[in-house]
Amino acid sequence: MSRTLAILGVQLRRSVLVALQYRVDFVLNAVMAVFWTASSIVPLFVLYSNRKSVAGWTWPEALVVVACFTMLKGCLSGAIQPSLQAVVEQVRKGTLDFLLLKPADAQLLVSTSRFELWRTSDVVSGALVLVYALVQLGYTPSVGAVALMALLLVSAVAILYAIFIVVISLAFRFVKVDNLSYLFMSIYDAARWPASVFRGVFSFVFTFVIPLALMTTYPALALLGRLAVTDVLIALATAAAFFLAARVVWLRSIRHYTSAGG
Amino acid sequence: MISVSHLTKHYQVHKRQPGIAQALRSLWKRQYESVRAVDDISFSIAPGERVGFLGPNGAGKTTTLKMLSGLLHPTSGEVSVLGHVPALRSREFLSSIMLVTGQKQQLIWDLPPAETFELNRAIYGLDRAVFKRTLDELVLALRIDDVMFKPTRQLSLGERMTCELAAALLHRPRVLFLDEPTIGLDVTMQGVVRGFIKRYNEETGASVLLTSHDMDDVAALCPRIIVIDHGRLIFDGTLSGLVEQQRPEKRVTLRFGEDVVAARLQGLGRVVDQAARSAVIQVPAGELRGVVQKAFAELPIVDLLAENAPLEEVLAELFAKSREARA
Amino acid sequence: MKRFGSMFAGLLRVAFAEAVAYRGEFIVWFLATNMPLVMWLLWSTVAEEAPIGGFGPAEIAAYFIVTLIVRLLSGAWVVWQMTEEIRSGTMGQRLLRPLHPFVNYCAENLAAFPLRLVVLTPVFIFAAAYVGGGFTSSWAQWALAPLVILGAWAIGFTAQLLIGALAMHWQSAVSLMDFWLGLYFVFSGYLMPLALFPAGLREAIAWLPFPYMISLPVQTLLGQIDTAATLRGLLVQSAYIGGFLLSALLVFRAGLRRYQVFGG
Repeated sequence: MSRTLAILGVQLRRSVLVALQYRVDFVLNAVMAVFWTASSIVPLFVLYSNRKSVAGWTWPEALVVVACFTMLKGCLSGAIQPSLQAVVEQVRKGTLDFLLLKPADAQLLVSTSRFELWRTSDVVSGALVLVYALVQLGYTPSVGAVALMALLLVSAVAILYAIFIVVISLAFRFVKVDNLSYLFMSIYDAARWPASVFRGVFSFVFTFVIPLALMTTYPALALLGRLAVTDVLIALATAAAFFLAARVVWLRSIRHYTSAGG
Repeated sequence: MISVSHLTKHYQVHKRQPGIAQALRSLWKRQYESVRAVDDISFSIAPGERVGFLGPNGAGKTTTLKMLSGLLHPTSGEVSVLGHVPALRSREFLSSIMLVTGQKQQLIWDLPPAETFELNRAIYGLDRAVFKRTLDELVLALRIDDVMFKPTRQLSLGERMTCELAAALLHRPRVLFLDEPTIGLDVTMQGVVRGFIKRYNEETGASVLLTSHDMDDVAALCPRIIVIDHGRLIFDGTLSGLVEQQRPEKRVTLRFGEDVVAARLQGLGRVVDQAARSAVIQVPAGELRGVVQKAFAELPIVDLLAENAPLEEVLAELFAKSREARA
Repeated sequence: MKRFGSMFAGLLRVAFAEAVAYRGEFIVWFLATNMPLVMWLLWSTVAEEAPIGGFGPAEIAAYFIVTLIVRLLSGAWVVWQMTEEIRSGTMGQRLLRPLHPFVNYCAENLAAFPLRLVVLTPVFIFAAAYVGGGFTSSWAQWALAPLVILGAWAIGFTAQLLIGALAMHWQSAVSLMDFWLGLYFVFSGYLMPLALFPAGLREAIAWLPFPYMISLPVQTLLGQIDTAATLRGLLVQSAYIGGFLLSALLVFRAGLRRYQVFGG
């Protein structure tokens, strides 16, 4: 465990150094993150300037979902996706072998190989949106509600992480999967709306196949104190299941990769 | 054909100490350092010449090649290639040169080399019949008839390099700039590439300027060499001239039929290496004849080999001297 | 001119082969461009509750399906290619050739059109069945539509050339592309019909290049504007294309002096 943390620390330090090398990008990217958050709110703003409520969600309530979406996106594109991209490159160039030679868990090394720290600005801007929404609502959530939201967000990160590990595992067999992460990011974009906006087939897909509803709508409901206990349990169980399944897929792929000789 | 006078290139490089604290500091304040990649060099190359361009890593070889091919603007000094100023990148200029580097490639990665050839035909506006004839010759000389229809990504390094050469020669350039063309190739492929460059030069009278770390490339291809170190020209002349200047001694390897003690070698020359039944001695070139005769008369010799010092060694000595001179 | 024509044809041919080799990537991009569909779901939920700004569920559907088609036909990607080539130094290989790199990029982008049309066939069929009578009935509009779509592509393409050329001076220039994209998504009509914006804002937006990249072709195809408006739009498109291209050429030429890839 201490070794795991040590590795994480070293890799984070390295990412900080890389980020600091490009000082303009550092600032610029942070500004861009805020800009993107704002631009993703515009349609919602236009929508709610015409309506009081949509699919049972008022403007500030919908903003809570946007806030969860933005914070998660920061984690996704700052800590999870860059590593994925790095691995896909390594598989293509054949340098992944060096990584597999190291005496540490390969999944850990792979998933910590690159962080884009300026993405934390997404987390910050998400939090700002959250505060604004709560002020608009005139609602002070209990400590328990905040903790529950945090817990559900962590389990959402676990689900996202698991999906990405599966994508990386695919990279071992089919080299060209960097686009798949792009595809996934585009699907994740749909998570910025409250899940009840989606009806029919999409409602099914976004709840059970790619559990977008669990990722952003559930934490928002938890904060607003509207989430049933059973739903909390379902979300946590789903996250655990995704995480374990990803580990199994990863181990099998590594075995396949090493036995195929690269 | 190619003339370079007082050519200089400076780079601004961002200087930074390691560590987080230093990195943070450099967010506010950056230190720049001017690096002289090429520092006042002059030379000229005649039509049909094959010139080796040598120097340690970072000496400024690639930078010079890039200025000669118009990819970099010189900080100062003049360059003329075939009467053109390369940095202006005129169509005539670009149509009569080529630059091939062992590391970067122009072949389209996911398509067969044949498609890159076709692309170059269009770009250089080559007549189809002429193109076909040139391509046939190149395919024959470089033995790429099978590989040119396989996607580039599936080719071996050597196959890729030969196709790279073919793609760069379709427009029959009159000046060839080659940057490490044999890097990473096996001995056979090196031979093919060398033989081909030599033949192209002899048949078309094109000038060749080649950098390489492989002294065999240079020995096989280049009667003349230009050596630079830290951006400065430190030698320009023939290969044999360099050896004579740096190491006028010949190196004689002797093998004996029976054990020979060290004392018996004295008076022959400087002993570089000695074992029971063999020895290597170094002799001034003028004294070689006398020494060999003496050796045969006095020692139980079964085999004798007289040669120049290895080129690598000669160059290493040259670089060491240039470093001393700088210090 | 004839020489240029035959050269360009040669470029297109090879670029088409390349586009075919990258069909996998293209299909993924095609699938990843699902934002109009997501927006369709969102806005149709809203429109089902009550029409919004004159858009009922059917109008919303027509709008976003056609938006999807326009977006997929008019997308350009040259800025990513350029910045990557500048960063890695492979731009040097292009510069060695006696041909302006922009011509080459243009051929590479245009050569992808046939493939796009093929991949989009199911969407066309779906659009014909679903939108049907929603399309314009004016022949003039139909004749102008390909031009407006080409213009939409060319605005994006030349703007990207400009940003890519800036990358020769300033390595973070690619962030500008993010900025451009953000504005594009909001103000082009990609995320919502521009008609839903307040009137004052709409007038301001009309001065930007973005409405001419999605909204103009979509409205032309759906007959929401008249032929004169489409022609006016074409004029604005040409002005933007000319402006971007000229600036891109100048910036690129200046960039050649500065462009340096460090190497021994």
